[in-house]
Amino acid sequence: MIKKKIIVQNPLGLHARPSSLLVKLANQFRSDFYIRKDDMTINGKSIMGVMMLAAECMSEIELIIDGVDEEYLLQEVEKLFAERFGE
Amino acid sequence: MKELSINDFFDLCKQRFVLSIITDSLSTDKKIVEPHIHRPGLALSGFFDRFPNQRIQLLGETEISYLQSLPEDVLYDRLEEMMTMNIPCFVVSKGLSVPSQMDFIANEKSIPIIVSRLSTEKLYWGLSRFLRDYFSPDQSVHGTLVEVFGVGVMLTGRSGIGKSECALELIERKHRLITDDVVRLKQQDDKLFGFSTKDIGHFMEIRGVGIIDVERMFGIEAIRKESRVDIQVELMPWRENMDYERIGLTNQHTEHLGMEIPCIYLPVSPGKNVSVIIEVIAMNHILKTYGYDGAEAMQRKLAEEMQQKTRQRTINTQNN
Repeated sequence: MIKKKIIVQNPLGLHARPSSLLVKLANQFRSDFYIRKDDMTINGKSIMGVMMLAAECMSEIELIIDGVDEEYLLQEVEKLFAERFGE
Repeated sequence: MKELSINDFFDLCKQRFVLSIITDSLSTDKKIVEPHIHRPGLALSGFFDRFPNQRIQLLGETEISYLQSLPEDVLYDRLEEMMTMNIPCFVVSKGLSVPSQMDFIANEKSIPIIVSRLSTEKLYWGLSRFLRDYFSPDQSVHGTLVEVFGVGVMLTGRSGIGKSECALELIERKHRLITDDVVRLKQQDDKLFGFSTKDIGHFMEIRGVGIIDVERMFGIEAIRKESRVDIQVELMPWRENMDYERIGLTNQHTEHLGMEIPCIYLPVSPGKNVSVIIEVIAMNHILKTYGYDGAEAMQRKLAEEMQQKTRQRTINTQNN
């Protein structure tokens, strides 16, 4: 299991479009993927959950990944966040 | 290009426009090839430039009284010149009688003269509509058309995916079947309409059962003869890692007869209740046409929340 904290950097936060990109990416992997923000933990493969986090710009979220391809998934997710979801 | 023989035209319109034929017979190979009607006032007065001779020539009271006012020799010349131009037929309104010379030349050139009891105005609009419907472009599509909450939903997808079964479930839920398996699409008034290719009733094939008669089984309220096609739902097998729409902020479209309609790609898997989803699609379509988009509304609310939090964050950091 990997836990990693990450800061949301795109100006509009995790709104609909970035959420769907994140979920689409996560669904390509076999590992379980959870995201925690404050006291809320949601399944990172479900779009409603991710959107409900309403993670704004500069907020901190924790990625919790568990499974055979956890490292690859983390790598790809970090890449997506670093690219600020292309925004 | 479509065409309509005078015989077919007469048979199709006889009742609707109270038609009778006054020339000797209908044995003519004349065909209507244009969905327009012409009132040949100028041609009757001798101006034949740009005369649209392929159109139905409609004679009302004005034209007939003009003809009656002409000296006989002029009348004969004009009508003969006009009828050498291969016109499909004359239609006379109000049950008016035509000058006897006209009858004579028409028989000679075997151009039918058809008389209607309707007024010129009614006949003009009625015929225009009839011809427009007849000549409007059409196309057949493999699919099933159902009307769900008044929304015309065309189900498509490969054979055996469950279009008919889904339609059957919708009928059970009090929606209406227009046609199964083949939908004939027509474009009218910038809208897309769909109906059955044959008017033989509402039959449907259910795998493992065979042919059933939907009207007999579910009653008259379960069927319709035609409906607008508002939205297309393409049923497709569920595949892992396939990009399905998750939010609904981007709307996909498909094109039939040059008309764009929204298209939804719906993955189906065993045990999934597709008919309920079709109902939801129909209701969502109604909401969207009324100006409410659920995906957008949620997106807006989230954006507001995040903006507020961002503001709070800046204030907090400034205070620190």
